[in-house]
Amino acid sequence: MTVAPAGRYVGESVPRVEDARVLTGRGRYLADIALPGMLHAAFVRSPFPHAAINGIDTAAALKVAGVVAVLSAGDLDLPKLRNNADLPGYLRPEFPVLASDRVRMTGDPVAIVVAETRHAAEDGCDAVEVDYEPLPAVATIDQALDPSVPPLFDDVPSNVLYTEEKTYGDPAAAFEGARVVSLTLRPQRVAMVPMEGRGGIADYEPGTGELTFYSSNQAPHGLRVHLAGLLDHPLDRLRVISPDMGGSFGQKTSMWREDLALCVASKRLGRPVRWVEDRIENMTAATHARDERIEVDAAVTDEGTILALDVKMTLDQGAYPLPAMLSPMFGWFARHMAPASYRLTSLRWLLTIVATNKASYGAYRGPWAVETLLRELIVDEIARELGLDPVEVRRRNLITAEEQPARMLTGPTLEDVTSLETLERAADLVDYDAFREEQRRAREQGRLLGIGFSTYIEAAPGPPDFFDGLGFTAGGERANAVLEPDGRLSVYTAQQGPGVGHETTLAQVAATELGVPLDHVRVVHGDTNLVPFSMMGTGGSRAATMASGAALMATRTVKHKALEVAGDMLEISPGDLEIADAMVAPRGDPGKAISLADVARRAYFSPQPGEEPGLRSSEVFDGSTRGGWSGGTHACLVEVDPETGQVAIQRYVVVEDCGLCINPAIVDGQIRGGIAQGIGLALYEDAAYDEDGNFLAATFMDYLVPTATEIPAIEIEHLHNEPLEEVAYKGVGEGGTIAAPPAVLNAVVDAVGGGKITRLPLTPERVLELLDAAVAVGT
Amino acid sequence: MNGVRRSAPVDARVTLADFLRDDLALTGTHLACEHGVCGACTVLVDGASVRSCLLLAVQVDGADVTTIEGEAPELEPLRDAFRELLSFQCGFCTPGFVMTAVELLRENPRPSDEEIREAISGNLCRCTGYESIVRGIALAAERGR
Repeated sequence: MTVAPAGRYVGESVPRVEDARVLTGRGRYLADIALPGMLHAAFVRSPFPHAAINGIDTAAALKVAGVVAVLSAGDLDLPKLRNNADLPGYLRPEFPVLASDRVRMTGDPVAIVVAETRHAAEDGCDAVEVDYEPLPAVATIDQALDPSVPPLFDDVPSNVLYTEEKTYGDPAAAFEGARVVSLTLRPQRVAMVPMEGRGGIADYEPGTGELTFYSSNQAPHGLRVHLAGLLDHPLDRLRVISPDMGGSFGQKTSMWREDLALCVASKRLGRPVRWVEDRIENMTAATHARDERIEVDAAVTDEGTILALDVKMTLDQGAYPLPAMLSPMFGWFARHMAPASYRLTSLRWLLTIVATNKASYGAYRGPWAVETLLRELIVDEIARELGLDPVEVRRRNLITAEEQPARMLTGPTLEDVTSLETLERAADLVDYDAFREEQRRAREQGRLLGIGFSTYIEAAPGPPDFFDGLGFTAGGERANAVLEPDGRLSVYTAQQGPGVGHETTLAQVAATELGVPLDHVRVVHGDTNLVPFSMMGTGGSRAATMASGAALMATRTVKHKALEVAGDMLEISPGDLEIADAMVAPRGDPGKAISLADVARRAYFSPQPGEEPGLRSSEVFDGSTRGGWSGGTHACLVEVDPETGQVAIQRYVVVEDCGLCINPAIVDGQIRGGIAQGIGLALYEDAAYDEDGNFLAATFMDYLVPTATEIPAIEIEHLHNEPLEEVAYKGVGEGGTIAAPPAVLNAVVDAVGGGKITRLPLTPERVLELLDAAVAVGT
Repeated sequence: MNGVRRSAPVDARVTLADFLRDDLALTGTHLACEHGVCGACTVLVDGASVRSCLLLAVQVDGADVTTIEGEAPELEPLRDAFRELLSFQCGFCTPGFVMTAVELLRENPRPSDEEIREAISGNLCRCTGYESIVRGIALAAERGR
């Protein structure tokens, strides 16, 4: 284990602050929190994907021992919900917090039962009688597009909620006379599957009118704002606390309908009310992702230069457009990112959003990932149809270092992007030419080996102009720092990471800047009474740059204030002082050192006239001025069993460029975890509905999360240019999940000898179909 | 219960997991599926790993139960190794993995990589991709020699 020189932590895989509690079972997750007088809630949920409700009878439930209250739609006195965005052409149906006259998805919440124990609450749920009249379900994209199928909502005339076509460059001209390569792909719905499901504790204190809401949530301030608006509760009396989070992957960035019901219950009863969902609820009624149908045409030259892409993306957003989850935005991000670091000059993107009787579509780690999926698959298809090597096709289309800075077709500036270099290095690491030879020999023996590449970039946080073409900005990131009276540092961040290690990485940055041991720094997060405002919280792989930059700046300011005080105490110019190991001394004269604790004590307890008492700061960091991209190339080597269609990953190599790593082990952990999810998406996971709209994947018996025997050891090499600026750490949270699926899928198609994947996941059955088709074509 | 004699009345239908968490306030054992697949709720009963979500509390009457909050000779080397190698992220699956690893190293002090992966294949982790956990167990095993 490397031990960093005291005070210099950035770049070292220092052990995590979080592990003291994680490894001893002393984490404090939502379900671990018990408040005095707390009641327990459970939800009655629709077993049907689509039904009319002709009546709800709670009489029997109220008689169940331990049940204190049963609330349904009529009892809540809340406004109807609709999506917040005022987007021209976007149909925004209204729907109640608890279903009243219609249920539109399996798991749709119909009533909340509040009881003294969780057992009693669930007993109460069983006793609620709901008179359902099942209706035909809108179960597929095609049914949603069919104008003869009745709209799911009374206040919008269609199940097509949004259509938008956007063109860049001149695709018509590009396609004229060009060779066209096409793919139609129906990726499956997947579920985020954090190991900890959702939950909430609403704690209303009647004496003060204060409402405290505990929720495992990546954006506590965002949740607070949404709750306040819908509950009509003053923000100065609404506090959101996100405790330790057991994973999220983007799922826990929402305000749930259940949250509102909990708050009403707590206000009504004057007691805390806790809800902890079970896995069946999480799989069925939380959010799903990646449910998009893709049709891609690529206009190419005979040499494999990609002239244009024409993409039709149809996104199945499920039944309810949640207030803060704008489905069109997923389409916009995918379109915006589609050119990536390829030299694309024309793009046409037709986006359609439809509603069906399914769980709502939400954000999942790299929500725009379909752009990398479609692009990396079609690049390999182009190679196959033109008789070219897939690495060579990438080489011919990726921008070079000399061309940068360059502009993506969709607007953002590309600078410091090393896609081509990562591709070459990945090809080196897998000994590409030797592999092709091995593949030939193996095929002669009837063994199917394959290799797949995937090259991608992600805006982590992206260049200053990244959001220009999307019509909004993410804004700067604030951090507050307080040097405590004993010389220890508290850093307050708006980040609320679901286990990604911010408590450690931000402390590494702050401790290194201030010149103190790591354990003198505490990172405070998750409590809206304490942390800076941010609607977005954690997401978009921003934290490595934005939060680290903000923590750095806030610490620097407080350090300068401390040095001013120290300068006065030592009668030496602050510019000549430095701090190391929590001691302040003139540079080169450690004998005169005083402790940072003494400096702090002076600042707090005996500030001099004109001196600000205490030592605190608040700084906003606006992000990279240049670059801001992470990315890389994944190479996946597989062997496909021709009898069973099973795919074994023999080797998985990543060449990644995320700038400087604050904590390399944390960075690699993010990459590996993301790849595991990507492998799951490619081969195993399916949040499937049948043709009648019944949900088929409510348990881990049906929804196959990869285990340690499915995920191989992953080789990771880091590449980076000389840093362009001081805050040269870039995010890496989402890249693995984005890049892995096409790498795996390309490898399988390469192994079977060609073919077009139409459906995911690539189950053994589907692999055998591909193989049969490839054999039939005679490849 | 973790080396201390405890007794409590319990409803017949209460699972061991709920009993640990709600009645004994030992919330280190986590529930992530409650149908016996994910292994997050793994504890040791008379030294053997069990899914506490699938056991009724009454079934451990008279037994020795060890949870993540307890002690075992294998625990400290495992914790040290996991800490050094940053094996875990969100921590929700962690207690289940740790207890499974305790049993593994007890039964097989020199597991191969493949044996480690097999042994933990009944524990789901969504954050790490497993490799850091496998390396942590291997490091603890190596130090245990």
